[in-house]
Amino acid sequence: MRKKLPIHVKILIGLLLGVVWAFISSALGWNKFTITWIDPFGTIFIRLLKFIAVPLVLFSIIGGVANLSDVSKLGRLGGKTLIAYMVTTFLAIFVGLFFVNTIKPGTYMDEEQRIKNRLSYELWLQQEGMGPSQDGQSYLSDPKYEKYLSESQEAQKLTDAQRKDIEEKMAAAQAQKESSPLTFIVNMVPENVLFSISNNQLMLQVIFFAIFFGITIVLIPKETAKPVVDFINGVNAIFVKMVELVMRAAPFFVFALLAGIVAKMANTPAEVFEIFVGLGSYAVTLLAGLFFVIFVMYPSILKVFVRKIKYREFFRNISPAQFLGFSTSSSAATLPVTMECVEDNMGVPKSISSFVLPIGATVNMDGTSLHQAVAVIFMAQLHMVDLTIGQQLTIVLTASLASIGAAAVPSAGLIMMIIVLQSVGLNPAWVAIIFPIDRPLDMVRTVVNVTGDATVSTLIAKSEGELTKYS
Amino acid sequence: MKKLPLHTKILLGMTLGLIFGMIAIQFPALASFTKDFIKPFGTIFIRSLKMVAVPLVLASLIIGVANIGDISKLSRMGGKTLGIFVVTTIISITIGLTTVAILKPGEKLPEETRQNLMSMYDENAGSKIDVAAEVKTRGPLQPLVDMVPDNIFLATTNNGRMLQVVFFALLVGVALLQTSKEKGATVLSFFNGINEVIIKIVQYIMMLAPYGVFALIAALIVEIAGDSPDKAWELLYALLWYTITVVLGMFIMMTVVYPLLIKYFSKLGYLEFFKGIRPAMLLGFSTSSSTATLPVTMDRVEKKLGVSEEVASFVLPLGATINMNGTSLYQGVSAVFIAQAMGLDLSLSQQLMIVLTATLAAVGTAGVPGAGLVMLVIVLEAAGIPAAGIALIMAPERILDMIRTMVNITGDASVSVVVASTEGALKPAEELKEVSE
Repeated sequence: MRKKLPIHVKILIGLLLGVVWAFISSALGWNKFTITWIDPFGTIFIRLLKFIAVPLVLFSIIGGVANLSDVSKLGRLGGKTLIAYMVTTFLAIFVGLFFVNTIKPGTYMDEEQRIKNRLSYELWLQQEGMGPSQDGQSYLSDPKYEKYLSESQEAQKLTDAQRKDIEEKMAAAQAQKESSPLTFIVNMVPENVLFSISNNQLMLQVIFFAIFFGITIVLIPKETAKPVVDFINGVNAIFVKMVELVMRAAPFFVFALLAGIVAKMANTPAEVFEIFVGLGSYAVTLLAGLFFVIFVMYPSILKVFVRKIKYREFFRNISPAQFLGFSTSSSAATLPVTMECVEDNMGVPKSISSFVLPIGATVNMDGTSLHQAVAVIFMAQLHMVDLTIGQQLTIVLTASLASIGAAAVPSAGLIMMIIVLQSVGLNPAWVAIIFPIDRPLDMVRTVVNVTGDATVSTLIAKSEGELTKYS
Repeated sequence: MKKLPLHTKILLGMTLGLIFGMIAIQFPALASFTKDFIKPFGTIFIRSLKMVAVPLVLASLIIGVANIGDISKLSRMGGKTLGIFVVTTIISITIGLTTVAILKPGEKLPEETRQNLMSMYDENAGSKIDVAAEVKTRGPLQPLVDMVPDNIFLATTNNGRMLQVVFFALLVGVALLQTSKEKGATVLSFFNGINEVIIKIVQYIMMLAPYGVFALIAALIVEIAGDSPDKAWELLYALLWYTITVVLGMFIMMTVVYPLLIKYFSKLGYLEFFKGIRPAMLLGFSTSSSTATLPVTMDRVEKKLGVSEEVASFVLPLGATINMNGTSLYQGVSAVFIAQAMGLDLSLSQQLMIVLTATLAAVGTAGVPGAGLVMLVIVLEAAGIPAAGIALIMAPERILDMIRTMVNITGDASVSVVVASTEGALKPAEELKEVSE
């Protein structure tokens, strides 16, 4: 009976069981057991997917590009891919801005607390000698707020550990900002290919090399190239099969992963709810934005260009990748599965998916940029700072540029947010506010990223007239 | 622009970079523009050269050994030729290292500039100097020990362990020779394909060379000069000394090493020898390509020096691809010059590393067009010298290329004379005169 269920249903069941298990086990005080004996399997799953990702990217890109009949197509594909990713990123950020400006999650908090926040922000501005605040108002010079002043000075003090952590991140952000604006292009060129291959953070360099290598294969004599192409196709087929094998066990692994994540987050279910309640309005806004992008924006974009695809069919096709993105919160780890879904279910030819998806996994971060916009404006609202449209546009630009540049930076999300906060003159230490619920939101962000990659690859296949299944 | 040969374009890029840099230092805005928007392209060029280094060494050495192995198996003459090639290459690198150690052209730069350069090209400069100091305390055989990788995949991920990759590739090549033909064929044709691809990639990268060189030189001038143009002149002065060093080394090769070689192994007078191959030398100088000069060299060596056709047609084409005395000498001098300019003190074992890498790389990366720069990058990386330093020596590169080709050709011709003479295939000079008169 269970055999008959499609894979995405099985994964969903595993996912739900994992959450249920985590709640039961924490209610019964079995958390330690879950973390010691179940969680490792989740880690194993992520490691399995990650080790497959690099060789799969390398060989599938080389194979895909080498099988292209003419190289000029590659330039066209590349241009389209980058434009499509940029447009979806901008749209996603606008969705985020829309939601955060209509819901105004930052205003749900206690008025007094916000005044205190505002005062501590102005104190910080004075300390840093940054001049007047962004909106030109000064609460400090207003006598009616005087009584809050001493309290907000208290509140500004951070613990040493927090301060150190933030200083490190700020240093990283500083280094990112100081380097030449072209550094991200420089960093795409590997200094040693095998080193890039041995480091998951350098995926973009692997992609660069693979494309270069693939193009060159086309340009050397056929007989000389044949052994190389055969070898690469062979190895690629093996890795694709490996993904299939791993996916068979995915429901179980996802169960372990989810159980571990929830168990680690808090000891009792009550605590989980507590974390959410504190930042509830923010989480709701962000989730609303993310879900809007997943369930409205992508399907409608797709519908406009690919008439024949049905709403539910789209999700049935890519749901394994979405569930996996949700449980691993890593688009690189999900990449092998995304490729499988897009090729087998959606009917995108390999030569396109193997080029578009790896680039998307590293460059396209719709969910992440949406998150940046919502978080920054939420924090500004929380501190009673009104941002003008111009400043919000600065956020859009910085967030989308940072999302491209940060592709190779580990734990990029928070470092990028520091850069965005600085770009509009806000206190970068504020990232600490949203730390606690970052992990669960990251899971949803990844679903957006993965869905975006899949959508764009389908669009590009359609525009090349190679989406035979839906035309 | 399209019609110009590549080396002319590189020369053009270099000159323009020099001019642009000199102008840029007069305007602060232009200088920071250079740092932000021009320098990255130079860096990209260097990085892409580094990118191909390991795969190139790996594939081309495996293929090279397999091919050369076939040659030396073929005949006693093949083995002898290869032996002499290796010996003359080692001699030329040693001469290069000696002249550069005596003249110390890199130390013509003021101390301040040298430290400036070091910090410019290497973020962790301090640690490198420490390592160099540590290396000095080790035993003399440590380089040999270091040549053997303990994990080949780890070795390939680190450009500094190039020699380990070279060692492994040589071993694979030799092992391939020993395996039966049909079993080795798959591996051989696989690496052959990879090798073709990498060579093609090198060609593409070299197409970017004019722009890369422009960016490198402009950035170099801007960064070294800061606000005083004098420092740029100091750099040019040091470069002059570097050029003198290279030329002196080559001069020694031409006037001491080759004449001695010929004198010792044959009855040919060295004046006669030079008179005989002079046209080939001149052509090599103007084309800076041993391959293009090959027909003339062969003609001269056979008709004027009396080398039998059989020997000439075997030794010279092989020499044109794998025997590059001038190039190896140039690489030795350049590597040490760059190290000196950055205030790096090279230990004896590092210098030995340069000799080994340059020799093996020269033999292995045979027939890779435009591989000179890549090979220099390989040598620099193996010796632990920041590869971006090749920006320093770009300026006189063109003229030195012409001279070193001349040396390469002379070297090939002398080896052919030596081989012919020891094989008894050298016609006495009197006989030749009768023929020509």
